[in-house]
Amino acid sequence: MMPTGLPETTPAAATAIEARGISKTYEGTLALDAVDFSVAAGEVHGLVGKNGAGKSTLLRILAGATRPDSGEIRIGEVRVTALNPIAAQRAGVVAVYQNAELHLNLSVAANIFLGSELRTRLRLVDNAAMESEAEALLGRLGLSLPVKATLGDLDIAHRQQVAIAKAVRANARVLLLDEPTAALNKSQTDFLFRLIRSLAARRIAVVYISHHLDEVLAIADRITVLRNGRRVGVVTAGSVNKGDLVEMIAGHSVAGISERRRPAAAKPEPILSLQAVSLPGHLHDVALDVAAGEIVGLTGRTGAGARTLASVIAGVTAAHGAMTVGGAPFAPRSIREAIARGVVFAAEDMRQRGLVMAMSAAANMTLARLGAVARRGVIMLGQEHAEAFRLGEFLDLTPRDPSRAVMTLSGGNQRKVLIGRAVFADARVLVLEEPTQGVDVEARRQIHDRLRQLADRGAAIIFFSTDLEELIELADRIVILNDGRIQREFDPEGLAPEVLLTAIQAGGPDEHRHD
Amino acid sequence: MTEAMTTPDATAGKKAPTPRTWQIGRYALLLALAAVVVVTAIGNPRFLSTNNLLNILFQISTLGVVAAGQTMLLVSGGLDLSVGANLSVAGLAAALTILATGSTTLGVFAGLVTGLLIGCANGLLVASNRANPFIITLGTMTFLQGVAVVISGGSPVNGAGALFDLFGLGSTFGIPNPAYIFAVVLIATWFVLGRVMLGRYAYAIGGNEEAARLSGVPVARVKIGLYTLNGLIVGAAAVLLTGILDSALPNMGTGYELRAIAAVVIGGTPLSGGRGSVLGTLGGVLLLGLVSNSMNLLGVGANYQSAVLGLIITAAVLLQKRT
Repeated sequence: MMPTGLPETTPAAATAIEARGISKTYEGTLALDAVDFSVAAGEVHGLVGKNGAGKSTLLRILAGATRPDSGEIRIGEVRVTALNPIAAQRAGVVAVYQNAELHLNLSVAANIFLGSELRTRLRLVDNAAMESEAEALLGRLGLSLPVKATLGDLDIAHRQQVAIAKAVRANARVLLLDEPTAALNKSQTDFLFRLIRSLAARRIAVVYISHHLDEVLAIADRITVLRNGRRVGVVTAGSVNKGDLVEMIAGHSVAGISERRRPAAAKPEPILSLQAVSLPGHLHDVALDVAAGEIVGLTGRTGAGARTLASVIAGVTAAHGAMTVGGAPFAPRSIREAIARGVVFAAEDMRQRGLVMAMSAAANMTLARLGAVARRGVIMLGQEHAEAFRLGEFLDLTPRDPSRAVMTLSGGNQRKVLIGRAVFADARVLVLEEPTQGVDVEARRQIHDRLRQLADRGAAIIFFSTDLEELIELADRIVILNDGRIQREFDPEGLAPEVLLTAIQAGGPDEHRHD
Repeated sequence: MTEAMTTPDATAGKKAPTPRTWQIGRYALLLALAAVVVVTAIGNPRFLSTNNLLNILFQISTLGVVAAGQTMLLVSGGLDLSVGANLSVAGLAAALTILATGSTTLGVFAGLVTGLLIGCANGLLVASNRANPFIITLGTMTFLQGVAVVISGGSPVNGAGALFDLFGLGSTFGIPNPAYIFAVVLIATWFVLGRVMLGRYAYAIGGNEEAARLSGVPVARVKIGLYTLNGLIVGAAAVLLTGILDSALPNMGTGYELRAIAAVVIGGTPLSGGRGSVLGTLGGVLLLGLVSNSMNLLGVGANYQSAVLGLIITAAVLLQKRT
């Protein structure tokens, strides 16, 4: 019995994993409402929806990490009502989360064999055998990774490849990927896509969760759309375009791109000025002026220096050279000093460097200027709550109550809290890393709008991003770094993403030797 | 305004929400307290007599003071193993001062200042971030144990003076005086953690030190402040204990550090920091005190008592881990 009359395509091949009527309630909120989901062997299946639509919950249920309130899961021929992670793994379901659960102190081979180490006859761990088997496995997957290297020395893309190789070694039949490209650049993403394709060719079912609809459309065979815990539909990737997907996700048409951009006014004095800023091995002789009210996007390939430049401006990383803020020399010895000068930093990695997850949204937002809601060191809780509530309204925080722990908020709302902290700290210069990474389309638009509003009120905003659309939508000026130098600047008005991409990738590793 | 945000967003967080499971730990503690009370009351009616209850209060006060201070440190992701040795040294400082000057006031002052300075030294060492608090305070603990033996000559210093009358014997409105000190310290630490910037910073550092630093929290200063304040509290406990014992002993604090940490953890503050409350610690201290008293009243042999206490601590911690 099919309860819905939505566009439906039947999987041609054998079903690898199927979930029926899955419901889950968290603290009175219905996270999943009788959701059906099925993926065929060898299929790449996209799973999309806003933050809080239920994607992550569904993923966790499929992976056995969360128990559904009701419903049934079938993996191949095995029927289960609730899995646990071990049963799920035994049945061949492996999840690769955003922060892949790997051990950075162990070698690549040791990670791949973790939990099922090969042994010698004396029951000792047989490193040599694991290394050669790991080598062979990686070779079959077309990966060239040093099996003896310590995982922590590899970059994120390679770590992810290790996680996937580990899943393949464990005979995964269903691979769950949660925002796998969040920290990858374009070429790494392309490589991952080829890897996913080769996994599909091995009859592995791949579930691909992402906010990047272009990517989902490019890689997935079919796409399941969730909204507010319900399945809105299952579509064949070839039959829809991005606009259709956005509409299904949002439930109503979203106006194309956020309304923008202030008319080019006469350039006022720069509020932030960099001269001859250098950091051996990372930045070389960088000069940059940013005016009040201006939004500057920094970008470049991995290691090109754009991220480092942002962290130098924020006072997180010390560098040589001269910086001024508001005309006065700026050489902060601590973050605290930078914040006192009105320079506030919002890190990309919210869990590690951004938020204190166990604290409330209010406490996170006031953290950088707690003195403003305190009298002689004593926090005025009522005043703090009121100010946090007002900030929550400005940022469209959902749920609005700022006394909730941020760990219970969705990713997009966590980002808003992080930006709220900078707003509360009265930032004159706001430095952000990947301001909307992992955020759904609507929250992303809201965040962009609010940043624009802050700029209109006179703040200078500098953000590092690898998201081409974000750079074009949000920035007044895009600055491309290459090999630690400012290579080009772009006016994003009417700029095509392809042009920007080409410019970012231009200037291979050798080119700087010529100029 | 965008219309979309009016649709309630299901907040299916990436992690299972902890707050609810948190309460189960709390609940288990209350349940354990109730069980101990019921079982002991049935086994020995004297348990519920006013005298016995006041006796329990008297006995837990010193541990309670030390545990309240330790709670602040654990919340911030810190730890002080030297509080027991500090207790001995600060108590000796108080007693020796009273012997030398004959002034109880000066003795109290010496005890408090000694505790505070030791705490401050620990804070400076921990804030240098060269080693973790466990190792650093293990070092100061061993050092202070040596100091205690040296300054006391290895034998008790009988010089509590008026402190014995005040804390060893004295009571106000029928309640033993040490309980008032415990109450004051409990309220003070509760206020610091809940309302003072220092306490908020403690939660932030314990929850995510890097995020706190990037938010401009003066991490080193906060740590020094917390360890110093804890040292002062240990100094107060030392004066209290010296009064109760009518003397200062070079090893009188031995074991307090572990019992205090046990009480804090039983009370729901994880060793990893970022969460917890002194209210929970009060529950933990009560549980340890009640169990000791209960075993005495039920005639459990001294040799078994330590084993039973150990089992309870382990069980309580395992229950916390489950949450």
